[in-house]
Amino acid sequence: MKLRASFTVTLSVFLGVLLCGCGGSDSGGNGRPASSASGTKKLTIGVAFETLQTEFWVAAFDKLKADCAAKGITMLEGVADGDTSKQFDQVKSFINRKVDGIIIVPKDGKTVIPMIKAANAANIPVVLYNRPADPTDAQHTAVAPDNFAITKETVNYLVSLAKKSGKKQKAMILMGDLSDVNAIGRRDGFEAAIKEAGDAVEVVARIPTDWNQEKALAGVQSAMQANPDIGLIFTSSDFMFPSIKSVLSNLGKWKKHNAPNHVILGGFDGDATAYQLMAEGYVDATGVQDVYWEAEQAIQVILDAKAGKAAPSRIDDKGFAITQANMKELEPRMWGAVVAKKRK
Amino acid sequence: MTTVSPTTNNERQTTNKLVASEYFVLFLCLVVFAAFAPFTPDFASSGNLWNIFTACLPLLLLATGQTLVLITGGIDLSVTASIGLSSVVGALVMGGDAGWLRGSPAAMPVAIAAMLATGALVGLFNGACIAWLRMPAFMVTLTTTMFFNGFAVWLAKRNVDAESIYNLPPAFLALGTQAWLAAFLAVVAALGAHLLLARTLLGRWLYAVGHNPRTSLISGVPVGGVTVSAYMLNGAFAAMTAILLTARLETGSPNHGKALLLDVIGAAVIGGTSLFGGKGKVMWTVFGVLFLSLLGNGLNLLNLSDFMITIIKGAVILIAALLDVWRNKFVRGS
Amino acid sequence: MNTPTNNDEQRTTHNETVVSFSGIEKSFFGVKVLKGVSFDVGAGSIVGLVGENGAGKSTLMNLLGGILQPDAGELRVNGQTYAPRNPNAARAAGIAFVHQELNLFPNLSIAENLHLTDFPRVGEKIVRGSSFVVRGDNEPASAPQRTTNNKQQTGGGLPWIDRRTLRSRTTELLRQVGLDHAPDTLVECLPAGERQLVEIAKALGADARVIILDEPTTSLSARECERLFTLMHQLRKRAIAIIYISHALGDVLRICDDLVVLRDGERVGGGETKEFTHDRLVSLMVGRQLNQLYPERSCWGAQAPSPVAVGALADHPDGARTAMIQNHVAKDSSAQTRTARARFAAAGAAALPILSVRSLTQPGIAHDISFDLAAGEVLGISGLMGAGRSELARILFGLDPCTSGEIQLAGQLLDGNPRQRIQRGLAFLTEDRRQEGLCMEASIADNIALVTLTQHSRTPARWLDFAGIKSAVSQMREAVRLSPKATDSQPVRTLSGGNQQKVVLGKWLLAEPKVLILDEPTRGIDVGAKFEIYQLIHQLADRGAGVLVISSEIEELIGICDRLLVMRHGELTGEFRREEFDREKILGSALHASKPLAADVRRL
Repeated sequence: MKLRASFTVTLSVFLGVLLCGCGGSDSGGNGRPASSASGTKKLTIGVAFETLQTEFWVAAFDKLKADCAAKGITMLEGVADGDTSKQFDQVKSFINRKVDGIIIVPKDGKTVIPMIKAANAANIPVVLYNRPADPTDAQHTAVAPDNFAITKETVNYLVSLAKKSGKKQKAMILMGDLSDVNAIGRRDGFEAAIKEAGDAVEVVARIPTDWNQEKALAGVQSAMQANPDIGLIFTSSDFMFPSIKSVLSNLGKWKKHNAPNHVILGGFDGDATAYQLMAEGYVDATGVQDVYWEAEQAIQVILDAKAGKAAPSRIDDKGFAITQANMKELEPRMWGAVVAKKRK
Repeated sequence: MTTVSPTTNNERQTTNKLVASEYFVLFLCLVVFAAFAPFTPDFASSGNLWNIFTACLPLLLLATGQTLVLITGGIDLSVTASIGLSSVVGALVMGGDAGWLRGSPAAMPVAIAAMLATGALVGLFNGACIAWLRMPAFMVTLTTTMFFNGFAVWLAKRNVDAESIYNLPPAFLALGTQAWLAAFLAVVAALGAHLLLARTLLGRWLYAVGHNPRTSLISGVPVGGVTVSAYMLNGAFAAMTAILLTARLETGSPNHGKALLLDVIGAAVIGGTSLFGGKGKVMWTVFGVLFLSLLGNGLNLLNLSDFMITIIKGAVILIAALLDVWRNKFVRGS
Repeated sequence: MNTPTNNDEQRTTHNETVVSFSGIEKSFFGVKVLKGVSFDVGAGSIVGLVGENGAGKSTLMNLLGGILQPDAGELRVNGQTYAPRNPNAARAAGIAFVHQELNLFPNLSIAENLHLTDFPRVGEKIVRGSSFVVRGDNEPASAPQRTTNNKQQTGGGLPWIDRRTLRSRTTELLRQVGLDHAPDTLVECLPAGERQLVEIAKALGADARVIILDEPTTSLSARECERLFTLMHQLRKRAIAIIYISHALGDVLRICDDLVVLRDGERVGGGETKEFTHDRLVSLMVGRQLNQLYPERSCWGAQAPSPVAVGALADHPDGARTAMIQNHVAKDSSAQTRTARARFAAAGAAALPILSVRSLTQPGIAHDISFDLAAGEVLGISGLMGAGRSELARILFGLDPCTSGEIQLAGQLLDGNPRQRIQRGLAFLTEDRRQEGLCMEASIADNIALVTLTQHSRTPARWLDFAGIKSAVSQMREAVRLSPKATDSQPVRTLSGGNQQKVVLGKWLLAEPKVLILDEPTRGIDVGAKFEIYQLIHQLADRGAGVLVISSEIEELIGICDRLLVMRHGELTGEFRREEFDREKILGSALHASKPLAADVRRL
């Protein structure tokens, strides 16, 4: 019968597609929630990332996934591609499925507050991963790096190199999206270190990038045109190094750290690209946040909450600055190095 | 002219009736529902269904407005820019930090009026270019998207030195926290659009202009005015969407709703509204929205990764479009 | 002038059958549209295929052209069984179909249109083009069974188009159809008649042995028609068979060798053209004796207009019932008295001009046009194609501008956009039914109600009164005698041309216009429907409206008008009252002082 045939076709298309989908996702988080047959109830955590566009977020996401799998926790995923409204829907869907905890990477510190409140109302613990919220009475825990301290340590090293060069260096900073407290913390750390350096370094360009690689490229390009003698560049995130590289190579200034024409380069994050560039000798230093430690802490907070232990509202990732000088010893603790080596 | 099929006439008629029926997409919704329910126990829970319903309200409003434009044979790509601009304007009127009317009891009604007016004005601009300057709708709305989006960012930055505007009055935020309120408003708006299309003179004129603007002009239909009103109404619907999104996220931002555009066109087309004009109903669009939302939510509950959901959604929209071509060509057309 | 006639004895190979249809049947959804049609087409003959709309002509030709496949029966080409699966197979078998809506790409050049499927390529061996160069117009066609191996022969070559060969082949093909345009001319720059010739050149380029022409003359001027007919006779000498479909029976009788008459999917007559007269052809087509082509009118004879139709119009419940209707109905009931219209006509145009045009001028289109239209008068405008008749109508309706002049409707200045003019009582049935008269995909009811929707809407929200609309539509359907088989919700696309035109007319009649302008109201419509449309025109005039009819067919205007104006090059060059009607004189003013061309006389 044709009628039945059309039913069957439609259904089998759906089912076929669904099966493919399940097969594909099995490699990571496993199966459906609340379905374990054994006596102990399996925990479920919802993870909502604002983006997966840079390797930093991918590394964090993978680490959360792996840890959940190791602890027998079901992890539900949501990626919002920069759309706050979509993220809100994802969080609401987690709440509706009565997860045991929610880990959020928000787009900014304000729009996440209604989400936290919604979770509070359902009595579900919330962890903000890496990006803290603006001051609010909504209950949550933020696990985030101490941007100011790590950045200041990194820039201090860059300044020491500038002083060693013997001439007054002109500097440029690539800033992040300033509605993100991380971006603000890093900028403030940079400015504080420069201020301490006295007149050894003068900041001539502050490039707003909104965490966008193309904007960074255009910004660096015009700044280098206006000030061809810039000798020190700090980027608020390592993922913008390729933009800097492309501009400097065109100007013939992409040189290793021991070459005479070298532009002093520093960054933040400690990702695989930065590790690669440091190993090759182009980048002088980068502030490393301990992604893996942050992931462990985030999950621990939720486990603690389940166990009835109160969590602090803020957990600082102290991080460290890795430089050409201390690279050998600190390399094993740098997440970017782990990723880069795994890649090989 | 039809293809020769080996089945008997009777069976074919049954299939044809089903496929050509305007409830076909609703039937597809049931298929999706039946396909997901056994795999995800949460799917059919009342909590989840309410969740699906409240989450699809912005899409419902936008797709309803877009249906009006599609029926006239046009298209409006600038709805996302209208949302962003309305959101910023509204937040600038009532926002707690720098709002022009902050703290005043009139802040909320004035802000809502300003948002609706902003949407309608963007629509007026689009419609005027299309109807009176005879520019192609696709090009006009594509470029006004850039223009108004940039304008919204500039407006926000100029006033609060950031893209996002916070601290909106609690009365306004109730629209976001009280889901039933938003649902009520959206359903009333969709019902209004349905009545407009089905029961009023303007509705008939929208269809006539979509069928054949030349014939309509010669038959005394004010083609220019009808076209402009379609875009203005759509702009107002975009503004209503902006109200919902702004209240729900407690933020005025030029970036609201940016990811919705493809879903909007997709929902309308899946419902059966023609991109060539003259054909479409609000009810069909509601079915299309329902279908997309059920599908998206179901896939989500299966715990598929995000990119996988996008792939499957794209494939299903393509299949639905194919089915639409098929049912028009071989069932209705002959 | 070398004008061909059907007595032309040069028909060389009439006996050799190229195409034969035997027992062809075809059904759509269980409805038989062809019921065992059989006939032969001889090489080098022109076969006229006539019948009313819906008789099955197009379906039959679609079978031959490979667009449809028959349910039963056999097609033979050159004695071989022929069952094309698609149009390409038909083309390969030497059958070319020139559709009513031409299949040319206006944005491409003539050369590109002619060679779309087989561009000559650089390095290709030129085999195909040569056969045309050798074969001239005067060469007797001695080889009707010409083999087809000299086409589609791709002798290798590079994947680049050989522009030079392309041009020379195109020039040659154009020469054969009597055109001397550059091959690179864009088709959109050509007038309709020349596009038709390009389409035929395309058929020649594909080595067609049978050319199907479906209503080729509807958009052609008299001169262009004559050019086409001359070309058809030249092709006949080359043993090419032509199947000619047309509603213009005069043309068919003059240029065809044989005729086949279809009615309701059956062949009801056929044979050599000389056995037929116009009247016999018409009665075969409609299946009954049709005594008159034009309706008798109340002011001339005893016969009153159909009481049913007039009654339906008069009983129309919506809108103000005009005094005219009541007046008319009253008179009608008192039998043989003269009707309102007759009274108006008798009083003469000067008495009560409902439309009055003074010195209307738009450079290049209309020059100093002045005339009056009386209430109750049917005024015809004649003239050659391009004389500015349609353009004048568009200016009157407010679609096109005019630089000077004045239009008055019922004594008051008429201006503004079409919408405002409609509200004043003007109506306009345009010449392009598909593009300007109807919403083809919309339903019959929606189309009929379109103009008068405003009257059925109530403020403040402009809510529509659907019951009122429905009853108005159904009354109007009856009044215009729309096919009762069609449902209100059926798209007008599915109707025959005649019924479509009735829908357009019904749409305007609902608005109860004071002045109705009709531009080519019966183009492409079968005889029966024409008659009914003439009746409707008369009824409207009887109710006191002024009717302006534009037509290319002088016979039609003579048949239905009270008075005739003639236009030439945007000027009025003649005025004739009914008692002065004379074809030769009317044509004389259409062509101005100079002696009318023989060709044009014959055409009109």
